[in-house]
Amino acid sequence: MIALPLIGIIAVFAAVRVVAERKTGRKLPYLNVMNFAIAGSLVLLLDHPLSLVAAAAYFVGSTLESNAIASTYAKGGGGGR
Amino acid sequence: MLDELIHILAATIISWVLFVTVDILFQLPRTGGVSGASAIARDIRDGGGSIHGGYMMGNIVCSPDASAGTLLAACGLLVAGIPGGLAAAVLVFIGNRICHDPGYAGTTGAVLATFVIYGFMQAGFAASDFIAGTVLAILTIQGLSHVHASALLARLWGWRT
Repeated sequence: MIALPLIGIIAVFAAVRVVAERKTGRKLPYLNVMNFAIAGSLVLLLDHPLSLVAAAAYFVGSTLESNAIASTYAKGGGGGR
Repeated sequence: MLDELIHILAATIISWVLFVTVDILFQLPRTGGVSGASAIARDIRDGGGSIHGGYMMGNIVCSPDASAGTLLAACGLLVAGIPGGLAAAVLVFIGNRICHDPGYAGTTGAVLATFVIYGFMQAGFAASDFIAGTVLAILTIQGLSHVHASALLARLWGWRT
């Protein structure tokens, strides 16, 4: 079972790139990769029928947060540069 | 172990082709669906990337697209087979509406991926191969080089238009 460790490594790699990248607009695609990896690992870790709902809720929620950060950034607010 | 690695690599290519095709058919690289997606595209262009590839990457960030549909369909198949994949499509549809996305790329991607992945599962693949494969596929687009990924997506978009 190498799927789970592989996804974990990708999540950590993406998280490091989020921190290392300086422009907010370019942090968000890396964050997106991390969210994919976490949503996938949730289902692999939780052996329960509702793990799909947990993964979807996490993924949609994090996407909405990225959307909100990006639109705030687009308006020049939030001080993130 | 080697078998699983080969399956994951094959699943990466299959899901990459699947969601990039659906996203381009649904015109994600045309323009930013929300202001945030356009801002991400501008930053990618300013970093040396291509604007249309940037639009697609921004749209992927801002709303669940076909790649999210593929990932959640694989998760659904792992949990509950075909009904799980279709339940994932419903969840992606709800996610699109929550994110003010009027499009159907995510829902279409999830339904298509459910059947494509189910087909490959009959041929010996596991749903977990596709979960890892989709994460690897999105890594190649969003997580390695924004300049090269956006240029590739813009070239594919050029063939579409």
